[in-house]
Amino acid sequence: MGRKPLSLTISLLVAGLASGSAQAHDDEATAWRLFIADHSEPVVHVFDAVEGKPLASFDIHGPASLYRSHNGEAVFAVQGSSDVVTAMATGIAFHDHGDHADIEIGEPRLTGTEIEGEYPVHFVEHQGHWAAFFDKEGVARIFRERDALAGSVEIREVDAGVPHHGVVVPYGDYDLVSEPHPEDPSNLPIGIRVQDRDGNQVGDLAECPDLHGEAATGNLMAFACATGLLIVRSSEGEPAIEHLPYADTLPEGKATTLVGGRGLQYFLGNYGPSSVVLIDPSEEEAFRLIQLPTRRVHFAVDPIRARYAYVFTEDGQLHQLDVLGGEITQSLRLTGPYSMDGHWRDPRPRVTVAGESVVVTDPLEGKLHLVDAASFEKTGELEVEDTPFSIVAVGGTGVVHDHDHGHGHDHDHDHDHDHDHDHDHDHDHDHSH
Amino acid sequence: MSRARKLALVAGLTLLWLQLLFTVQAEERLKVVATFSIIGDFAQQVGGERIELHTIVGPNADAHVYEPRPADAMALARADVVLTNGLMFEGFLTRLIEASGTTGKTIALTEGADILRDPEGGHYHFYGDHAVFHEAPFDPHAWQSVANAKVYVENIASAFCEADENGCPLYTQNAIAYLAILDDLHKEVGQAIAAIPEGRRVAVVSHHAFRYFEDEYGVVFLAPQGLSTEAEATAADVASLIDGIREQRAAGVFAENISNPRLVEQIADEAGLTLGGTLYSDALSAPDGPASTYVELMRHNATTLSRVLASD
Ligand SMILES: [Zn+2]
Ligand SMILES: [Zn+2]
Repeated sequence: MGRKPLSLTISLLVAGLASGSAQAHDDEATAWRLFIADHSEPVVHVFDAVEGKPLASFDIHGPASLYRSHNGEAVFAVQGSSDVVTAMATGIAFHDHGDHADIEIGEPRLTGTEIEGEYPVHFVEHQGHWAAFFDKEGVARIFRERDALAGSVEIREVDAGVPHHGVVVPYGDYDLVSEPHPEDPSNLPIGIRVQDRDGNQVGDLAECPDLHGEAATGNLMAFACATGLLIVRSSEGEPAIEHLPYADTLPEGKATTLVGGRGLQYFLGNYGPSSVVLIDPSEEEAFRLIQLPTRRVHFAVDPIRARYAYVFTEDGQLHQLDVLGGEITQSLRLTGPYSMDGHWRDPRPRVTVAGESVVVTDPLEGKLHLVDAASFEKTGELEVEDTPFSIVAVGGTGVVHDHDHGHGHDHDHDHDHDHDHDHDHDHDHDHSH
Repeated sequence: MSRARKLALVAGLTLLWLQLLFTVQAEERLKVVATFSIIGDFAQQVGGERIELHTIVGPNADAHVYEPRPADAMALARADVVLTNGLMFEGFLTRLIEASGTTGKTIALTEGADILRDPEGGHYHFYGDHAVFHEAPFDPHAWQSVANAKVYVENIASAFCEADENGCPLYTQNAIAYLAILDDLHKEVGQAIAAIPEGRRVAVVSHHAFRYFEDEYGVVFLAPQGLSTEAEATAADVASLIDGIREQRAAGVFAENISNPRLVEQIADEAGLTLGGTLYSDALSAPDGPASTYVELMRHNATTLSRVLASD
């Protein structure tokens, strides 16, 4: 198991997070956990975000990008340079009973599941199934989250033909598979093909030049292309893919990273170095461009306050983006400058949301900044050793059962079902080769 | 410019401005958001031309799993009145209301209706020797009884009257006329079902949307899914349903307009029955379909049930 969290200290009382733990009802509990990977060390730290205290640290094989699952029961550490994906159980699970959800809280742990292969990068979940794409093999390995949590997975492989920077999405009885560039597979893929379980292509190739970046929101999926987005809907159980071209009103550019809205169905993407684009495929005017004051470092959606997303810019500011108004509503300086000059892989801040707090990693200072999501004021910091980089949060509020009350509760009140997920796809890498 | 001409111009402009103001006020309609198509129809029946209606979950769409769009939140933000079913039917609602920051009045139209609980919904948790019982959730599909639909309509009329006093006489008049239509509909549905021989009043659908219909009109419904379409039926659910179909001699299997028919097709196949058509459960049909209003919906469901269940 992981090593003991030793040199982690808390520099400030985490007022913002602590207030999020206020128990609205005596049979409810709130738990949020932060998983933080280091920029260069093979370690993942786990913090109790409600108490602001370190919970555990896990030794892994190399620096990782972290992904949390839809239900928040699993976090995966994708270690591209170490050729492995490591599964962790978050220790927080919800059991939905229709009008309320029970929360189960245990210890975070390494589950023992590791998916091996050469250079895993894109890592995608669809309905409890995950696909890790191994670029240097051109192969995806698909497994069930349930099995990864249990410590033993049955792997299904999908071969995309040649090594390339690709992606596979397990989509029910089908797989969405990136089509490598025919002349030079070191270029970005040129489209998505749908394959059945026997590997036979179904329908035509959905063209998507410079395919890079994918996200899900509700029952929609999207891939970003140089020409627009591919929007994937489920039609009687089969994937139906449509191309949504960028609006003529947009300047020259393309999205290469997408995140999906939570509670509201939309996508947020990068677009050029200093703007983001809000995408609502159901609207006549599907694209709204939001100009940023300086170049963009990272962005994330708020899984609880669906109206908001957050963007971090190289001048050290966190911006609150109003998804309805399509504008920046508040800005807050948190860190020193993090220039976008230099390598895309350099340590720069990452953003996530844990309950009432927006959390931003400050790798060069070795800490996390905590911002109250409601007031948009800084409420505290957590020190984390070395260079905290990739970060995800899991948690929410659920019902727990007090053993002293041996009979039914009145569940007519509304429980918070905010145990949702933010899909932190944070490798905003640059493909300008 | 002469003084007289100047005055005339100012007077003319003022008149124009007053006219504009008047037109704008006359066109300022009550902004209403309805969460799904069936209560959208109720709202239109009561509000007529006096309301501007935005319906969130449209025809043939499933409110249980609907993912609201930013445009829905913007409509909510502008709304004077928000009409909801309540009883956890609209899983997206709490967050959407929060996201929109709406100051409009939110009404749960099932308030005051005769509400059922899910007969299969209670569950126990065991903690060592302790058993904790969670009471069954309420069944939200109250509109499937016309008697309850009348409560929805009355609630809408009072909500509109409260929000727009000047329109109240119109809303009241519309509601009274519509309630009379619903009274007739109630009888019509009752008669259609009464025409089915008693031993044949058992039907299979994909989710439990019809318990109010069952309670009111006496057709028993079996379903592999529960109160919501959110959780998929397990193989065990389907197996026990097949047993149920044999035991209770279900006479018809029906697709629902909001769901993929694949599951019920498979069930019909295994039970040796044929699919009897489509019932409209949680949404109206498109305008050119057979259930584009609530009245048509209930009539279509009643006649489809009676036609299929009564025939051998
Ligand atoms: Zn990539
Ligand atoms: Zn339903």
